[in-house]
Amino acid sequence: MIGQADILEFLPRTDCGQCGLTCAEFAALLLSRERSPEECPVLHEPDYAGYIEALHELLAQAPPPVMQVDAERCNGCGICVAMCEYHLGNCPEARLGRGPRFHDLVVFHIVNGTAVVVRQDLCTRMLQAAEKCSKCAEHCPTEAISFKL
Amino acid sequence: MELKESIICPGCACLCDDLDIILENGRPVAIHNVCTWGVGKFLAEKKLRPNKERRRLTDPQISRHGRAEKVSYEAALGEAAAILTQARRPVIYGLANSGAWAQEAALALTANLKARLEPADLAFMAPFYQAVQKHGLFWAPLEVIRDEADAVVYWGANPLHSCPRHAVRYAVFARGRFTERGIEDRQVAAVDIYRTELAGICHPYIQIDPFQEAALAEAVMASLNGHPASEDAPADADKLAAFFANAAYGVIFCGRGVAYGGPQVFDRLAALAARLNEKKPFVLFPLSGDFNSAGLYELLLRETGSPFAPDFADPAAPTSQASPVDFQEVDAVLVTGADLLWFLQAEQVQDLKKRQVPIVALSPFADRTTAQARVCLPVALDGIEAAEIAYRMDGLPVLLRPVASASAPPAHRVLADLNLFL
Repeated sequence: MIGQADILEFLPRTDCGQCGLTCAEFAALLLSRERSPEECPVLHEPDYAGYIEALHELLAQAPPPVMQVDAERCNGCGICVAMCEYHLGNCPEARLGRGPRFHDLVVFHIVNGTAVVVRQDLCTRMLQAAEKCSKCAEHCPTEAISFKL
Repeated sequence: MELKESIICPGCACLCDDLDIILENGRPVAIHNVCTWGVGKFLAEKKLRPNKERRRLTDPQISRHGRAEKVSYEAALGEAAAILTQARRPVIYGLANSGAWAQEAALALTANLKARLEPADLAFMAPFYQAVQKHGLFWAPLEVIRDEADAVVYWGANPLHSCPRHAVRYAVFARGRFTERGIEDRQVAAVDIYRTELAGICHPYIQIDPFQEAALAEAVMASLNGHPASEDAPADADKLAAFFANAAYGVIFCGRGVAYGGPQVFDRLAALAARLNEKKPFVLFPLSGDFNSAGLYELLLRETGSPFAPDFADPAAPTSQASPVDFQEVDAVLVTGADLLWFLQAEQVQDLKKRQVPIVALSPFADRTTAQARVCLPVALDGIEAAEIAYRMDGLPVLLRPVASASAPPAHRVLADLNLFL
């Protein structure tokens, strides 16, 4: 499963801000198909030759996004992390209202004040063909989370 | 790339202790488990407008005839000392967003200057402490509230703006010892004059007319005492009374909106809490957004014996004032840990400008106050670039360790140095 960390491997990771985002945020938007690799100005430099093509190949392997987070609306409150059905059974930190640790296997992380979907394949909707769990979106006070299905 | 785990966030008074920070070249680039308020400090972005940069102050400056000049640290301190010692009525303003060491240094400076120390949130906290003095303190640590409170009321508060992770970490969604199912084991209500994001999670959500909060609290009290509601009582008072009656352990989180309703609102809420405490634990909790507001009042209570603004104008008999300072009589201001010109009303700002009241500003970021200040002294970010102590909103002191290098001295050092220049 291709995740944000895999995409980040092929980004400059300098957080230069030329695209208006950090590299982690840009990677999340690549995964959700809201941005394309060509929109990173640094990747057009000779030192990064081949990276854009590699990113396109990676994105072709990543499933189309089901869950989308509107970064403009999200305030990083973390209610989605606490309410997520997968986290409830698999992340004791999130049960107590704390954020998951950096290396924890979770659906969401809050990164730089925005919810980022890191392992969509763990989402109950994907695991159980549910369409039934939408606790994160239901409890999001800013209505930042939506589902494409 | 370096990973630092379980860092404490000085973004707001929650002081969240679960941040994981990725550093590159000694600067934070990605922060896990941080809300927009924390990002505003760690990544120097505007709080409610992510990705909009906040400009850092880099050099000490003195403004002469509207033009800012870069000067040495000592020259800026000398000018600041001259302004404050020549003033007849100097005020040290702010400090709710400063670490405890900076607050101690500011209190020492205030006494030395025979000045008044004005907490930035005095208009909010003074009525709370007056109500506590009259009706008693109903208090609990946040962890106890998380574990036990099954009824939560946000009164004039929007935690999603003032301290975004408060609801998820301690009050509404977190699962505790006796609240194992989180929000499903709690009733959550809100009272506000606006419809806010809380409306989706608070049932009932009581939207009342401005200046009706005290009347609502009185009507709830009357209903709890079995008296019939008067004709002019605000609607939904019975609904709120039933909510309180059903609780086993409750908490009322009061936001800044309570202060706008007049000083009597805190009095009525404290009376209501006292009445409820006759039968069950019920906590009355002011929800101050600034990260070390609680530390300032701890300091004032410890050092002056009063939680109000200490005034050393008469050094033989210093007083403590509960009412905010009249800025029309102030002729010099030192601002630290707050943005004075943002907080003041437009006519007060105009009055300060018209009278050319000199401002000495200590700030890590450029803001409205530093733009108008006679002397600007850049300081390190407390808890991010400099070690500090901060008190969580329930009074728990925690040590904040620096995670990045500082290009400016910490505020407590600048205030101590300024004290030497007087």
